[in-house]
Amino acid sequence: MSHLRIPAISLLLISLLLGACVSTEAPAATTQAPAATAAATAEQVTVVKIGSPLPLTGSLAATGVASRDAELFAADIINGDYPDLNLPLAAGEGLPNLGGAKLEIVFGDHQMDPEKGASETERLITEEHIVAVVGAYASAVSATSSQVTERYGIPFVNGQSTSTALHTRGFKWYFRTTPHDGMFSEAIFKFLQDMRDTKGADITTVATIFENTQYGSGSSRSQNDLAAQYGFEVVANIPYPSGTADMTAEVQSLKAANPDVVLPSSYVADAILMVRTFEQLDFQPQAIVAQGVGFTEASFLETVGAQGDYILSREVFAADLAEKKPIIKTVSDMFQERYGHKMEGATARSFTAVLVLADAINRAGSTDPEAIRQALLATDIPGDQLIMPWPGVKFDPATGQNIAGSGIVVQAQEGQYHTVWPFDLATRDVVWPFPAWGDR
Amino acid sequence: MLDGTIIAQTLLSGVLIGFIYALVAVGLTLIYGVMDIVNFAHGEFLMLSMYVVFWLYALAGLDPMVSLPISVAVMFVVGVVTHKLVVRPVLRAPMSAQIFVTFGLMVFMRNGAQFLWSPNYRLIQTPLVAGRLELFGLFVGKPQLVAALGALITTGLVFWFLKRTETGRTLQAVAEDQDAAALMGINPDRTFMLAWGIGAACVGVAGALLANYYYIFPTVGNTFVLMAFVAVALGGFGSVPGALLAGVIIGVVEVLTGLFISPAFKNITAYVLYMVVVLVRPRGLLGEW
Amino acid sequence: MADTTLTEGAAGAPARKPFPLAGVAVPLLALALLAYPFVFRLPFQHNLMILVFLYASLGQAWNILGGYAGQSSLGHAAFFGVGAYASSLLLVKFGIVPWVGMLAGGLVAVALSLLIGYPSFRLKGHYFVIATIVLAEIIYILFTNWPFAGGAEGLFLPLLPEGVVNFEFHSSKIPYYYIIFAILAVVTTVVFFVERSKLGFYFRAIREDPDAARSLGIDITRYKLIAMALSAFFTGVCGTFYAQFVLFIEPNNSLNFMLSVLIMLIPVFGGSGTLWGPILGAFILIPLSEFTRVYLSGAGRAIDLTLYGLLIMLVAIFEPRGLWAVVTRFRSRETLKWRFWKSQV
Repeated sequence: MSHLRIPAISLLLISLLLGACVSTEAPAATTQAPAATAAATAEQVTVVKIGSPLPLTGSLAATGVASRDAELFAADIINGDYPDLNLPLAAGEGLPNLGGAKLEIVFGDHQMDPEKGASETERLITEEHIVAVVGAYASAVSATSSQVTERYGIPFVNGQSTSTALHTRGFKWYFRTTPHDGMFSEAIFKFLQDMRDTKGADITTVATIFENTQYGSGSSRSQNDLAAQYGFEVVANIPYPSGTADMTAEVQSLKAANPDVVLPSSYVADAILMVRTFEQLDFQPQAIVAQGVGFTEASFLETVGAQGDYILSREVFAADLAEKKPIIKTVSDMFQERYGHKMEGATARSFTAVLVLADAINRAGSTDPEAIRQALLATDIPGDQLIMPWPGVKFDPATGQNIAGSGIVVQAQEGQYHTVWPFDLATRDVVWPFPAWGDR
Repeated sequence: MLDGTIIAQTLLSGVLIGFIYALVAVGLTLIYGVMDIVNFAHGEFLMLSMYVVFWLYALAGLDPMVSLPISVAVMFVVGVVTHKLVVRPVLRAPMSAQIFVTFGLMVFMRNGAQFLWSPNYRLIQTPLVAGRLELFGLFVGKPQLVAALGALITTGLVFWFLKRTETGRTLQAVAEDQDAAALMGINPDRTFMLAWGIGAACVGVAGALLANYYYIFPTVGNTFVLMAFVAVALGGFGSVPGALLAGVIIGVVEVLTGLFISPAFKNITAYVLYMVVVLVRPRGLLGEW
Repeated sequence: MADTTLTEGAAGAPARKPFPLAGVAVPLLALALLAYPFVFRLPFQHNLMILVFLYASLGQAWNILGGYAGQSSLGHAAFFGVGAYASSLLLVKFGIVPWVGMLAGGLVAVALSLLIGYPSFRLKGHYFVIATIVLAEIIYILFTNWPFAGGAEGLFLPLLPEGVVNFEFHSSKIPYYYIIFAILAVVTTVVFFVERSKLGFYFRAIREDPDAARSLGIDITRYKLIAMALSAFFTGVCGTFYAQFVLFIEPNNSLNFMLSVLIMLIPVFGGSGTLWGPILGAFILIPLSEFTRVYLSGAGRAIDLTLYGLLIMLVAIFEPRGLWAVVTRFRSRETLKWRFWKSQV
């Protein structure tokens, strides 16, 4: 039986060791009850902890790290005294209704893996005793993380994930500040409708081209639904595998379908390749109106340079709106100065989610999850207290979706995105149709 | 409408990308042919050579076409060092351990690149070779054309080297029968080193040519290497002309599927083609060694 | 796993035990693992061991085909994924309980394995490895483009009242812990008996020298298919467990190539073709990646994965047969010492 001895001993040792290191790393928590029941009463708290699972390593690490910094920045605005900023909780230190308690954010890394997102959220709830969750960037991870918060009865304020599947699950504890893909697609079609009806653009056909995973296929699906509603004909739907080496076939299929407007949904690597292939094969639709993401990431315009000019995209945030809403510039400059990132779609939405959640905790005057949930349901933040181009934040009680959210449309001109729609917010006139590749 | 021009244009692009697959595959198949090892870190070699070219451009202002020989030299050394440090210890180990070690190298290089150079995308903004040509109403990107020609020339050189030079013949001798080659006084270890050096140098060429028009990031190897694996196996492990032929076939099949069926399925036909071919010819199209 | 080896140990104990702890360590280990969830009570601690057992089970399942029969598959994610999808689709679309789905998942994986195995077993060496990659990629692409199965957007499993029947537990992870522990025990027992049976002998014969095996009259394809079916069945069962554990599946988390690689990595790291190798591999690699993720990844610079790759290389270079070989060497030296000591007495 000697062949059983060593394995047994070594496994025993390893498992004991593992248990030992887990327990030394989190010694305090072993005996405590779950956070939901152990929530402290309002009077004693000096620190309110919220959790944020983000992709801090892996392929989306750059975005994850920037989002973390934006959330830290929001916490700083809440905790410090900023009387000049017209943002919720900026003036005065901490959360006034909780005796000036400070907001602390505990981060977790999920590496874009839904399983890790769920376990990380659970670890934050049970070991860090957080009272609410923000994050998790990727829709697939927000899906599993919000299952955990639903189970524990902890509010989840989702600032960035846009999949339409998320708010239709009948969850009680799930709230989303950002508009979802359906609303964004709607912005695109309202823009096209405005172009057709008020600017006389001759648009009858559209085509979608999308990366073939969760984000792209969801986006294309909602665009197909809306196209019929707005009276446009979809002449082609072209899915492609993300990270492809060559896009000739895709672009040739587009050329064959000859749509007036192309609607791409792509991650940044494919967006770069797509634009280069458009130019190379001289593909010339009236306009390219992208569903954000790859096209609006900072590295897209940095990489393609002048080739990217006149591309349109729906956007969630635009720094040039500062001309109409000065708070955007103040906050963006502060953020850039302190953390070295530009304020853009992902970071601005992370920042906003933290403020919205903190506002609710403050109004609840308690760290009791049910009280926070009730306060979230009563949220009504006007647009002028946001750095987003939204009319406000107000949650639909049935789904938890922010019904006051909306998108804008931007156009690249001279290597920078400028707001061109809604027309009353626009800082530049839209250039339509797309100038020929050869003429610039 | 699908007219002749569109189909011809698509075919042309398929052939061009096929040459790139072939060039990546040639290095892989050479290493395999000589020592029966699949290098799972081959895509990361490609990534590394692209970064070499990028940094020479960003820091020293060298154009990719100028730094091509440097990239080749660097990659030759990387190949030799890989053999000495990583591969030699597992030569006699089971196949799964060999897959394992090159896989470890892949994870290490990919994440090491993210650690050193961040996950951001890089692009050579103004290479010498840029723009496009118009031939008979078809568009060809100059960088793609140069890359395809470079691939063809490199493959030809490797083939010539194997068939016509003394050293090349020793490589083949070792590939056919290591022990017999050793008896004839050929040092197998030196030959292996050479195979790794040349195999990696081929990727050095590919990296420099790709950097003319493709963006560079830590996992860029993924994009090309899976198809290169299939090309190697389809052409027959160890066969240089096989890799060339298979690379081009895969490139063409991919774009045609994309055009006529759906781009979502463009990889599937290449995979199915592989299965069909190896079922009929278990050693691939031109497998012989 | 420990229970079964224990009974075997008691029944087959040799007259002269080389070391008196043999009968003590095994039940101790079993007890330690059974008691673990009550000693370490944080969900993170439970989650960690659930993942260890899950990947140990997957590694053990791979071990049957890759370790004993010597057919290195890099496409096991396909079996895992179809197992996960089979039970989830049965639950979501037809309301069938996941336990039935688990059996169905295993069987669908078996069917797929026969479909894949029959053509690809004609291929040798790397042609076979590439074939498994290619076939798994085909499955991945098909599921990504299959609207009924949720396509690329994946499938949410409904949150049902918790309980054994629904195979969902919300208030505690302990039931998941014991279920996956039982799965690991079963698959390890199967491997234990296969190792000692005629089947195991055939598998090894095929691995060591297929031509000799054929000349001995062994029907090679048949036994390879048996190995593949066994391996696929347990991989599919693990897939169902994963779907019920995470309650969300998409092609990217259940069918992707890196999962295939990890399933192979664990037994090869620990020692493929040995009973304890896959378990040892999972006990080291999974906690390593979890701890580095939790404590090292905050900087966002992939230090954790860089170290992980380095470690894999080092183990492969210095111990190409896996870490288990270290233990075996140590053990045989110990046994020699013991014999020497006995002979002196």
